[in-house]
Amino acid sequence: MKILLADDDADRARYLVRALTRDQSAEVICTTPGEMLADAVAAHRPDVVVVDMTRPDRDALEGVRQLSSRMPHPVVMFVDEDDPDFMQAAIDAGVSSYNVGSVTPAEMKPVLRAAVALFRRYQQTHVKLAEAEIRLKERDLVDRAKAILIRRRKFSEPEAYHWLRREAMSSGKRIPDVALSVVQAQESE
Amino acid sequence: MPCSLRLGVLRLTDSAPVVLAESEGLFAAEGVEVAIQVEPSWANIADKLRWGALDAAVMPLPLALAAAAGLRGPATRLIVPMGISRGGNAVVVSSTLVTCLPEPLTPAAAPAFRAWLRDQTVPPRVAVVHLFSTHNLLLRYWLGSVGVDPDRDLEIVVIPPERVVAELTAGRIAGFCAGAPWGDVAEATGSGRILLGSSSIRPRHTEKCLALAGDWAADHPGPAAALSHALQAAQRLCDQPERSPAVAALLARRLDLPEEVTPAALPGGNGIEQIAFAAAAPLDPAEGLWFLREMRRWRWLGVDRDLEQLVADVYRSHLPLI
Repeated sequence: MKILLADDDADRARYLVRALTRDQSAEVICTTPGEMLADAVAAHRPDVVVVDMTRPDRDALEGVRQLSSRMPHPVVMFVDEDDPDFMQAAIDAGVSSYNVGSVTPAEMKPVLRAAVALFRRYQQTHVKLAEAEIRLKERDLVDRAKAILIRRRKFSEPEAYHWLRREAMSSGKRIPDVALSVVQAQESE
Repeated sequence: MPCSLRLGVLRLTDSAPVVLAESEGLFAAEGVEVAIQVEPSWANIADKLRWGALDAAVMPLPLALAAAAGLRGPATRLIVPMGISRGGNAVVVSSTLVTCLPEPLTPAAAPAFRAWLRDQTVPPRVAVVHLFSTHNLLLRYWLGSVGVDPDRDLEIVVIPPERVVAELTAGRIAGFCAGAPWGDVAEATGSGRILLGSSSIRPRHTEKCLALAGDWAADHPGPAAALSHALQAAQRLCDQPERSPAVAALLARRLDLPEEVTPAALPGGNGIEQIAFAAAAPLDPAEGLWFLREMRRWRWLGVDRDLEQLVADVYRSHLPLI
């Protein structure tokens, strides 16, 4: 089975190639930077295309059959129409697939499952990273607000923290949001 | 706390009613909580509607019909309760190429245009935003009307709207047909020239519609109706020319569109044509049929399909509209 992999995230693509070629029957070809997907399909004639949904030219695959007589392959989007849960998981993970050859959905499924799992893992890592960044920023904000309160109101550190917590509870806000307003009030002075 | 409805849009001027309804609290006034999801391309919108990652979306009318007809993968149960916009697309040619074309491109100039096209060793590559887009169908209709074969004399490729100007600037395409503001952006950056607006190809043509995922709409009739009401109220506001600067500022903030360029296609603007919003809301089956007949003309839709029935299955104006 010939798989064309179109993923501009070089790290993820490397992992995907490794995961997909564990299947002995799979031959994985990656698009080169700047290569248009429709051209790559015409050049390599893969059985299936696995594509990052944010890749701008993936829309070109939808109409390949209609748009270009130069490409005689039938292009059928999505491999597994009978498994909506799997398709939903694929879409949520940000990967889609196009069947452009003669390989049957049953043959393709393990390969696609591997791709979806990898996309999902990547997505989760990104979300975790973003969350960690936010937590760091919030901690910094609270520290700055405490420093302001210690300096201006002569609070001790625990008193500053208690003050922030009390304000947060009485106004129905989160502590970092109260801290932000303290820092902003200081900056605007 | 009701779960938010996920509404998909692209970075386009005719997403204005959606972002305005959000900022003016019109969704809240109708009691519906809406999370706007900005997607990179039409295929994403259509796939996410099909597989439950979006509940509703603003999309080109023919794409909604094509998805429902099963022309792009498995048939999608979709409901179109209202139109969002009329007009607003531009046919753009690269600045270097435009000097070679006869001007103005009136029907009288068609023979010269055809001769020039057939002189090209490689057919010029022209982008549309999706195979089943209003843009592709209107462009092909116009090309046909001046005797150009869109499949032989040109190479039509698909590029998402927010990417067309970059592709034109890089010289990878000779022109495009895309929605506002991208034609005006191409002119403002000097990379392209607008040849014509889509309303001159088909006056008052429906452009975007609101599409609801069928299963979601069946389970949530209240929020579905509330969404339509809020968007219709927003359409009336978007039609007021005096609001256009504020709408442009909002589109800049919410969708990162260039604030100095978007007013051209908004009411009162000085672009080639201006988008109409409220007039698009009532559904006109004839408009859906026109696009379906064009799809049949290009053999994307078999003669065995009952086009009237297709439109009737998708159009659901019986949702309580104002």
